[in-house]
Amino acid sequence: MAKIIGIDLGTTNSAVAVVEGGEPRVLENAEGNRTTPSIVGLSKSNERLAGLLAKRQAVTNPQNTIFSVKRLIGRKYSDKDVQNDKKWLPYELKESASGGVEIKMADRWYTPEEISAMVLTKLKTDAEAKLGEKIEEAVITVPAYFDDSQRQATKNAGEIAGLKVRRIINEPTAAALAYGLNKQKDEQIVVYDFGGGTFDISVLEVSNDTIEVKSTGGDTHLGGDDFDKRINEYLVTEYKKQEGIDISKDPLALQRLKEAAERAKHELSTSLETEINLPYISSDSAGPKHFLMKLSRAKLEELVKDYIEHSIELTLKTVKEAGFKLNEIDEIVLVGGQTRMPAIQEAVKKAFGKEPHKGINPDEVVAIGAAVQGGILQGDVKDVLLLDVTPLSLGIETLGGVFTRLVDKNTTVPTAKSQVFSTAADNQTSVEIHVLQGERQMASDNKTLAKFILDGIPPSPRGMPQVEVTFDIDANGIVNVSAKDKASGKSQSVHIEASTSLSKDEVERLKKEAALHETEDKKKREIVELRNNAESLVYLGEKSLREAGEKVSAEIKEVIQKKIDALKAVKDSNDTEAIKRATEELSQEVQKIGQAMHGSSQGPAQPGPTASSTDGDK
Amino acid sequence: MNMNEDNIKELEQIKQEREEYLNGWKRAKADFVNYQKDEAKRREELVKFSNEYLIRDLLPIVDSLEMYLAMTADSKEKKGVEMIYAQLVGELTKQGMEPIKALGELFDPALHEALGEMEAEQPSGTVAAELERGWKLNGKVIRPTRVKVAK
Repeated sequence: MAKIIGIDLGTTNSAVAVVEGGEPRVLENAEGNRTTPSIVGLSKSNERLAGLLAKRQAVTNPQNTIFSVKRLIGRKYSDKDVQNDKKWLPYELKESASGGVEIKMADRWYTPEEISAMVLTKLKTDAEAKLGEKIEEAVITVPAYFDDSQRQATKNAGEIAGLKVRRIINEPTAAALAYGLNKQKDEQIVVYDFGGGTFDISVLEVSNDTIEVKSTGGDTHLGGDDFDKRINEYLVTEYKKQEGIDISKDPLALQRLKEAAERAKHELSTSLETEINLPYISSDSAGPKHFLMKLSRAKLEELVKDYIEHSIELTLKTVKEAGFKLNEIDEIVLVGGQTRMPAIQEAVKKAFGKEPHKGINPDEVVAIGAAVQGGILQGDVKDVLLLDVTPLSLGIETLGGVFTRLVDKNTTVPTAKSQVFSTAADNQTSVEIHVLQGERQMASDNKTLAKFILDGIPPSPRGMPQVEVTFDIDANGIVNVSAKDKASGKSQSVHIEASTSLSKDEVERLKKEAALHETEDKKKREIVELRNNAESLVYLGEKSLREAGEKVSAEIKEVIQKKIDALKAVKDSNDTEAIKRATEELSQEVQKIGQAMHGSSQGPAQPGPTASSTDGDK
Repeated sequence: MNMNEDNIKELEQIKQEREEYLNGWKRAKADFVNYQKDEAKRREELVKFSNEYLIRDLLPIVDSLEMYLAMTADSKEKKGVEMIYAQLVGELTKQGMEPIKALGELFDPALHEALGEMEAEQPSGTVAAELERGWKLNGKVIRPTRVKVAK
């Protein structure tokens, strides 16, 4: 079945995502980028260009390079916004017969739908190449404030591009979908979307699986590009002050500066200071000139402070218009690359007194939400088959009270994992399987789910029997644990139905506890493991001495016996260094016998995991 | 055997469910197989272009060296830098890097990025000046050449 793609058709950039195997992912375009400039051009050789290529030729061909068409689509020519935009757009506009807008590219007039369709065609073609299959259907997003005419026009653009538009959804709704907020009950959500060229704020209400837009606001001419411009202006002015040279007239210098400024902006999202280093930016009679300047996060924040404040004012206004108080807002979602700026995240957090959602790449979250909607329409597997995960790790207790995990937390079920264990003492004929759940390192700190005994193991030296323990979890979370002695074929098993009955809070509490005790638990486990090692080495040493008989001289035997006694003396202490040292020394001596008595050392005799584990789903 | 209506209904429902589950299973299986294929392809690309980001970030250094060489009078020191430059470019070439030809060629947005236009003797629409060299890595444009186009 053909896939339904999700398209974020943006003012400056667009992105495409698709749900595959229940997970949404963004599709790279032909140039290998995850976003595509929403630009179309007709080159001088009459070739139609879209995306990055159209952008690259824009300066030589401004009248025939169309961008920001989203500002025009579905609007009347007489619309105030159209008239305002007309003043700064470098291409020609006129009124169509029906009162709409027409755009001139080369010697032909196009409707905004047709131009938008060219962007969509590029997105569709690239997505098809990436997926290796034909795409026929799509979900396209639009701003929440788009009216019927603008929505219809966007839908038409999709149809012109050869896409059946299954649904037009709001950008903020898509963002909320991407975070799975549609599953919430009766919540108020604010979506703060600071894109490249526009700032949109939306207040949504979720109830009964529907998302309703309560109010919208923002500034259609405020975006991350304005931040870049401010930084640029600042750098040019500072440079003029320092060197007395105006580089704003040199296109390459300006381009280099622009890119460096953008990179500096990105870097300042994670570091407090960055350096802009551009050697040979220009030259005068005195020789080449270099550009070297430090930019701090504080300076950047100072440069754009008014923009951020303005955006917060607009946000508060929009929430008020929706008829809500600030403390009634349950969730805040950040969208748009500019929201990576820590100062913006702080300002939003301060305004609402809540941590905003920001886990998903803010440039891609809308496309991902559109893909999720596409997945729902398609009835993707996820809808029919909700796969669960194990909330906590499962495993058994091994020698020294250590908790050995077989199934890690967050493993998708159904699943089966098995591992081979052995005995801890000579002639041990039964093993106790103690099934536990939790994240702590020691068995006693975790929750017991079941205990059972496998007996009838033929008597043999410690470490020899192979007991395979298998955890099998079905789709309902019911755990079946079985233990089987490979030699005798005897087996025992237990059913555990309550393994997932822990409440969400309980799971969280257990995870937190584990994190809290991590270091101390690790130390405890390390000591136990050292002790286990020491014990098996003592065992091996004594056994070797017994078996060596006459083949080894009395002197060597005596040395080894001494080392064994030394290790025995320290192994139960908490002095890890002493245990390590004594183990090391004994190990070296024992090897001497081993070399003489080939075959006496038969691998790890430790009753921990002794064979590779196998897993697979059932 | 006599089937009453309820039985038939139930049977139909079971049949329908069977279809649904089987289809779901097939789809999940297909998705997984496709995912594996995609993953293999991605890994292949990763290997091929794993150096891409690193090399792209190194290009400004190549540019700076080129500007130094272009703006500095010949000297012993310059000879040294020239050799360092040759070392660097030699290494990049070994990695599959190849400069993009621009000057005099017809402007092609797949290879070139226009930063402006200028009066020139060359035919209109061709590259009249190369401002910053572009590079291909194993045939893929990782940075277009920045040019001025003849009016």
